[in-house]
Amino acid sequence: MEAASIAHPPGGGPAEHEHHGPPPAHSSSRVDPQLLGMLLFIISEIMIFGAFFTAYFFIRVAQGDQWPAPGTQLPVYPTLVNTCILISSSFTMHWAQTSIKKGNRFGLKAGILTTFLLGVTFLFLQVNEYANIGFAPQDAAQQTIFYSLTGLHGAHVTIGLILLAIVTIRSWRGHYTPEEHRGVEVPGIYWHFVDIMWIVVYTTVYII
Amino acid sequence: MLNPLRSEGEMFRLLLYVIVVFAVIIAVILIARAVL
Repeated sequence: MEAASIAHPPGGGPAEHEHHGPPPAHSSSRVDPQLLGMLLFIISEIMIFGAFFTAYFFIRVAQGDQWPAPGTQLPVYPTLVNTCILISSSFTMHWAQTSIKKGNRFGLKAGILTTFLLGVTFLFLQVNEYANIGFAPQDAAQQTIFYSLTGLHGAHVTIGLILLAIVTIRSWRGHYTPEEHRGVEVPGIYWHFVDIMWIVVYTTVYII
Repeated sequence: MLNPLRSEGEMFRLLLYVIVVFAVIIAVILIARAVL
């Protein structure tokens, strides 16, 4: 699909070798395809979380229901520890990424594995919290939205863990180099996004 | 300009900004609750 690139500007010069005409099929000439894909994905994610936050604020603000529901208590401090675990996993993710950029394979493997284990710990503690929290999703609207918001985030952590497991295996097999490590970069962006969303969820649901 | 979608490093910087901003918000809320 390079037929359009044969049009040269009059007079030649440095612009002679520039690409002219329409971009290749299914691509934009203005936005990098990977950037556009990530942009659309993150926007769709924000819209999903936005829908759940709308339901949450409807219950608390428009309907004016007490939060948490009378007779229930949210484990603020245990979840704060869990929040610190998740945030620290972003630091190890960043360590892994900077390591492979410098060609440090040990740093990559240690960073990715630690990130994965911290993520598993977060999810395990989240499930443990569900088991001991003392109320069920069907008890009241507050409980429903509590489980929905934290569960939606938990689903994202699960997807992130699947990606991290793949990255961990590929790291051990030596698939990444300082020149080509997109397979670490993109899950890293996703993992940081999941962390950012958790900070918003935790502050909104547990603190405010 | 910060573009968190371009690279992991920039997304990590955004995460650090979010941590700082929300830490301030939580501190203000807790102080306000203690005072009021």
